[in-house]
Amino acid sequence: MNKRIFVLIILLLLSVVATISIGSANVPIHKVYTVLIDTLFNHKSNLGDLYTSSDFQIIWNIRLPRVMMGLIVGVGLSICGMAMQALLLNPIADPYILGVSSGASAGASLALLFPISILAGGYQVTAFAMIGALSSSFLVYSMAKIGSGGRIQPVSMLLSGMAVNAMMSAMTSFFIFIAKSNEGIAAVYNWQMGSIASAQWKTLLLPMLAVITAGVVFLIKGQSFHLLMAGEDEANALGLNVSRFRISMTLFIAFVIATLVSVTGIVGFVGLIIPHVTRMLCKSNNSKAVFIYCSILGGMFVMWADAAARGLFGAAEVPLGIITAFIGGPFFLYLMIKKNKKGGE
Amino acid sequence: MSIQFKDLSVNIKNKDILKKVSLRAEDNRITGIIGPNGSGKSTLIKTFFSLISYQQGEIFLDNRNIKDMSSKEIARNVAYIGQDSSSMFDFTVEEIVKMGRFPHDSKTRNIDDIVYEALDTLKIRDFAKRNIRTLSGGERKLVYLARSIAQNTDSIILDEPTNHLDIKHQYMIMNYLKNCNKTILIVIHDINLALRFCDKIYMMKDGTVFQSGSVHEVFTEENIKSVFEVVGTINRDSKNDVFFTVER
Repeated sequence: MNKRIFVLIILLLLSVVATISIGSANVPIHKVYTVLIDTLFNHKSNLGDLYTSSDFQIIWNIRLPRVMMGLIVGVGLSICGMAMQALLLNPIADPYILGVSSGASAGASLALLFPISILAGGYQVTAFAMIGALSSSFLVYSMAKIGSGGRIQPVSMLLSGMAVNAMMSAMTSFFIFIAKSNEGIAAVYNWQMGSIASAQWKTLLLPMLAVITAGVVFLIKGQSFHLLMAGEDEANALGLNVSRFRISMTLFIAFVIATLVSVTGIVGFVGLIIPHVTRMLCKSNNSKAVFIYCSILGGMFVMWADAAARGLFGAAEVPLGIITAFIGGPFFLYLMIKKNKKGGE
Repeated sequence: MSIQFKDLSVNIKNKDILKKVSLRAEDNRITGIIGPNGSGKSTLIKTFFSLISYQQGEIFLDNRNIKDMSSKEIARNVAYIGQDSSSMFDFTVEEIVKMGRFPHDSKTRNIDDIVYEALDTLKIRDFAKRNIRTLSGGERKLVYLARSIAQNTDSIILDEPTNHLDIKHQYMIMNYLKNCNKTILIVIHDINLALRFCDKIYMMKDGTVFQSGSVHEVFTEENIKSVFEVVGTINRDSKNDVFFTVER
């Protein structure tokens, strides 16, 4: 297991270098390597000698923050997806399906289309996305509670998630419908398709903090997650307060997802695919190694998906959400068919 | 460690599932709960772990009201083996058994030693690395029993542990329970298994205790007919063991 993790870390580092070289401007891999090593370890002593300042600008200030953002978002969505699947005892749950992302989307659309001057710039979108995500998850939770008659059932949570998803999407459409600014509408559409093209060093901090916190919390609570995944009644009988755990973790995930979604828009299916790929590779859920697998694979997936988004069609960039959904959609169908063939467990 | 339910009432969606049920499971004894489907047996034991909430009555563990105990404290004293312990996620047997250590915060011993000791007790060490979902129903029940051993509690509450199991696994489980010197509270369907292994029986009907006492007091032809609506005979074999047969 440790050997595999080591290999994955090496692959991750190679992916960072390789994906930085992909984009509209051609940057050879050896130059990326030189800039990264020189900047990190030699304080740019070879600037002007081995690479130009424009190379440095593209590699260090444009591509690297973007690749890092891909890594952060990939890790965050994957581990939150894994946690969500455990919380709802459903291997096909992810934050996107549960309506948290569409809630964030409605909030962000409101901020983009009808900006108010209380909060400045990008933080307004972040704040509204967070409010949207939290209201959405609160709605999902309340409706699920009413639907299951007290103690929350995972199925009713999924169903209410879908209903809230539809409501929030309708709300976003309504905001677009009544909006007057074409520029704003275009911004919302772009935002909804998910993109990390605008990533800069300064925009990395908030998502990074959210994802690191999520990682630490999930690692600390790993045993509780596993207990729940092995059976709800047994988890209760083994001393885990399942209701409290579910509520607190759902809210926490909503915070993390809101932070990510507010920066990147909706990047779908990552939280669904990566935990499954991880399970296929690991054949088990119960170890910190699985969690590390999931993080690294998630990070690499989004890094490469974003590289494809900026490299596949020359100068024209495809939104990241489109690439991940193109891969995620068929994979989701494949899972359903595979499950059906097994006799619909 | 005794387990006591006192005048317990449960109402779900305006239906009385349990009506003032009282029951006591004594130290180092097997106490069986028997009754037809829907008589409230599983509901009763689920109240112990707050899986179902009760409106009236009290539950005691060694004379301590369990409402005054944390769920982890309860889990350090009483293990639970549910009717359908299955997961849609993949876990190895070793991982499942290890979960029994969750309520014990202090790590006094190597957890792996405890896990393998538990597996050895039931002679299922070979299962350790297998996926729980690839095991048969009987093998899976043994794994959950091993988890309760790793949990190291004085009492075990089991909900129909022998259902759908072949005779070998039924006897493996019941023999372990008989010899483990713990307080056992077991919901059981098989009258003959109950006759052979239980020290005390509570016979339930329509959410109430219809009759309680020793197996010989409770399992009479009249009681079985009244509760299960089945006519049969209580017989004795050459070794003076009692068994029940249903009339043709």
